[in-house]
Amino acid sequence: MKVLQIKCPHCQQPIYSKVRDLAFYCSHCKTMHIRDGGINVIDFDVAEFHTNSPPDRVYMPFWRLFSGFTINQSNVAGGMLNKLGRLLKDTANGGNIFIYIPAWETDVNEFKRWAMDLTEAQPVYSLRLDFNNVERAPTVVPKEEAMKMADFVIVTMEAEKPGTLQYLDYQLQVHDARLIYLPFIKGAGGVVPGF
Amino acid sequence: MSVSVGLNCPSCGGAIQISEGDNVINCQYCDSLLWVEGDAGVITVAYKNLQDRDGVLRATEQWWRKGLKAMDLKKKGRLMECYPIYLPFWSTTTRVAGWVCGYEERHYTDKHGNTHTERIPKEEMVLRDYQYTNIACDPGDLGIKYLRNNAGEVSFIDFESIPTFESTTSKDEAVELSKQRAMSDARDDARVPHVTFEKITVIPKRLSMIYYPVWVVRYAYGERMYMATVDGVTGNVLSGRAPGDPLYQSLAVTGGTSIGGLIGAAGLAFGIGADDPTIAIGGLVIGAVILGFTYMFFRHGSEIIDGDFDDKKLGNPLKGFKIAGTKWRFN
Repeated sequence: MKVLQIKCPHCQQPIYSKVRDLAFYCSHCKTMHIRDGGINVIDFDVAEFHTNSPPDRVYMPFWRLFSGFTINQSNVAGGMLNKLGRLLKDTANGGNIFIYIPAWETDVNEFKRWAMDLTEAQPVYSLRLDFNNVERAPTVVPKEEAMKMADFVIVTMEAEKPGTLQYLDYQLQVHDARLIYLPFIKGAGGVVPGF
Repeated sequence: MSVSVGLNCPSCGGAIQISEGDNVINCQYCDSLLWVEGDAGVITVAYKNLQDRDGVLRATEQWWRKGLKAMDLKKKGRLMECYPIYLPFWSTTTRVAGWVCGYEERHYTDKHGNTHTERIPKEEMVLRDYQYTNIACDPGDLGIKYLRNNAGEVSFIDFESIPTFESTTSKDEAVELSKQRAMSDARDDARVPHVTFEKITVIPKRLSMIYYPVWVVRYAYGERMYMATVDGVTGNVLSGRAPGDPLYQSLAVTGGTSIGGLIGAAGLAFGIGADDPTIAIGGLVIGAVILGFTYMFFRHGSEIIDGDFDDKKLGNPLKGFKIAGTKWRFN
């Protein structure tokens, strides 16, 4: 077994963190990289806090999956497909959507809540270039795992609405995965959006 | 499970604590992020042996007294050898996320004797982590295929002094086996009798190699050799073969054939008397089942077997070690 200090592939500075984080952010040159079979520098977005946000701020990581989606056939007992139809931008049975996958350590209820909420009601935010010394929750979900979870999010959206899903024939293709840091406010009951 | 692996931070020299299967850790002293590379990308840990020869022999003797083993085993059993070994196990964590949809059929009979079938649609979410261990070498006649314990002190300090079995299966085989088992368990957990649609995603989360200390005890009883294995961490007997007691076999044959025969005959007599073939058939079936168990005990009761032996016929087979993760279902 071998232990190596993780260094920025761009400036070779050591990377420090008080928590275990799969997304390695170099505060020196502001480069982020991941190690998924190799050392890969990734693009990422940091969203701006709302101007009136309280001071207890934290950035939460999401994988935003730009995905193409087509429904070929469906059957719901006692209900009808509607959520996916609302999200699809092109024709009635296909289009593109952004799927948001929480990338921090969540329990399953929190995972479902944020994945569903943000995928159904796409967040609107402006971007900034750095974290502005705001705390950043560590990323624990690798990109490949997030892409695999996209199917789960899509089927969950349909299965959890009125009616009982009996059959769903669809195609889902993830075109792009991007790490997005969204601003949140820490509170007694968890975090709430700060964008 | 956080463990000390006898390695130091390359930046500050502080001792490193890692969780089993993790390859990214942060040094608790200097906050450096560290990348852990195992052999062929697999994290390897070894549990420290906490047992000694005397404790192992005491555990074996206690095991002799349990169950239907020969009553004079403690008196006539002769220890031949007792030694520790390290066995390799694959430890995997597999996440399953998905939905299983379909229906359940319920049958009702109305007052006119007509049977109606109600079809109840079902949709079940399965979202949980499945953890498995599986031995990574040929266990031979040791009767061990899975780990029963996942807690203990991790150290390679005994590696030089205790013989170690090498892994003979690949990590790809271990991952594939875990994926298949997790998929199968997820379907079982969903409990949808008739599936019309399922979308289940299986994600291998962690893989590590665990070297676990096991004591092997070989002993003689009469002219035959037997064995037992003892957990080197907990001190519990993991598997073993022991002589059965002829008295128990005789009592079983006498009692089993008598009770089985009586129930069968009584069912036949009552059934004919009441002109109800159901009672007769039921009595015969119950009698035959009791006779079957009696035969099995008589046939295989000369040797009592505990553990994961392929030829095990009696007792409760030990199942694979699985930690049930939190499971959520939404209807």
